[in-house]
Amino acid sequence: MKLFDPHIHMTSRTTDDYQAMRAAGVVAVVEPAFWLGQPRTHVGSFEDYFLSLIGWERFRAGQFGIHHFCTIGLNPKEANNPDLTDGVLALLPQYLEKDGVVAVGEIGFDDATEAEERCFAAQVELARAHDLPILIHTPHRDKKRGTARSLAVVRECRFPEERVLIDHNTEETLPMVLDSGCWAGHSVYPHTKMDEDRMAALVGRYGPERIIVNSAADWGVSDPLKVPKTADAMRAAGIAEADIETVLWRNPVTFFAQSGRLDPAELETPARVDQRRLHEGNSVLRGQAPEVEA
Amino acid sequence: MADEDARHEAGEALAAAVGRAAPAEWEWLARAPLPGAFAGAGRRCRGAAGLGPGEAAALRRAGAVAPEAWPLADAARVWLLLARLPLTAPEAAATVRRLFLTGDTAERRAVLRALALLPAPEAHRDLAIEACRTNVQEVFEAIACDNAYPAAFFPEPAFNQMVLKAVFLGAPLGRVVGLEARRNPEMERMARDYASERRAAGRPVPEDLTLITAGATP
Repeated sequence: MKLFDPHIHMTSRTTDDYQAMRAAGVVAVVEPAFWLGQPRTHVGSFEDYFLSLIGWERFRAGQFGIHHFCTIGLNPKEANNPDLTDGVLALLPQYLEKDGVVAVGEIGFDDATEAEERCFAAQVELARAHDLPILIHTPHRDKKRGTARSLAVVRECRFPEERVLIDHNTEETLPMVLDSGCWAGHSVYPHTKMDEDRMAALVGRYGPERIIVNSAADWGVSDPLKVPKTADAMRAAGIAEADIETVLWRNPVTFFAQSGRLDPAELETPARVDQRRLHEGNSVLRGQAPEVEA
Repeated sequence: MADEDARHEAGEALAAAVGRAAPAEWEWLARAPLPGAFAGAGRRCRGAAGLGPGEAAALRRAGAVAPEAWPLADAARVWLLLARLPLTAPEAAATVRRLFLTGDTAERRAVLRALALLPAPEAHRDLAIEACRTNVQEVFEAIACDNAYPAAFFPEPAFNQMVLKAVFLGAPLGRVVGLEARRNPEMERMARDYASERRAAGRPVPEDLTLITAGATP
């Protein structure tokens, strides 16, 4: 079964991770633009980050046979820095036109401030202007209120709910997201957010429709193999193979294909592994023999 | 390089090809601000350019080398550059540089393919030399192969480095325009040194090197 990790920050991961993911069946990823663990102090740092998402990281993934897409946006944490917001928002129209960009995101709330809401709503309008879906991050603190408030912003902006993915859901937020027309993402983590067995139980209870699972692996304690591990947990819990495939492949493909920039037919052929390709003067190879698939 | 008439005809040929293949997208490209239009051409113009023989000939007269092989997105982007760049050379060079630096792989390829066709092409020399520092095969080949720009404008050290790098990356030397005319003793020495390094390491010597040594064993 082909697997899709629709939320993973590969910029922070190693080539070993790419190899292990590909061996476990992951053939496509979406890397959302987010913060980097420490706050940026220049607008130019955002631009170079966006460029690495559409260029270097996409190339790096391709070397391991993985299709790489990304989302571009100003994340809610850094939306609170008034020195950055206008400059970063002004960069977005050019980057939202790029080929591998399949949504605006991650946007939403962190501390639920006015600045966050202003940037959130501005980026909903950018999504409309560039014909893109939206990926919404929900906060760690005050999650239920933050999720409800995010749904309210989507409604106030009259943005089509079938083009919205609300991420990082828990048992307590999933019902309200499913009651809306939005899609519900779940980040399966080693310690926080969601785990594999709870995820299997949620699919058992609510069915597979509009439910999406990701590893959200990044620079913190996280696991890039959580999507394949969730497949195993769902199998062990007796979930039907077709439902597992819906949650872990068809749903993310269908959601992001709404961007018009992810061709489901193209995904049926895995990206060809060719490590002879190099990028910007740096090969990811360090002397070992390149792997080339026929 | 190309005179004003040849450039104008090349622009008309590209506009016709894009307008024929993607009429609605052509309208959008003609109206949208340049950076967004240049980026958005990728997803709006898919497939091959499908240039007619007359259109390909017009592009060749303007300095393009193998326009029949261009995808439609490249045709659209080269057209945007011919039609929409600022009129003064320094401003045009700054715009071209910005589009290259903020572009993804396909956008960078299109900028490099356009260079030889632009007015005052020497203004883009630093960018073209800088572009050779990429190791993305597709970007490197866009400047090194089937492109008249380097042979016409690169100083000898930059041209030699590009040729040697083509050997390293496995980019076909047979497609380096003007290689025969730009061969020089220093390039030949570099080729022989590289061949010697390969032999010492017990590795095969690329056959392409004989194009640098005029057929002699390097």
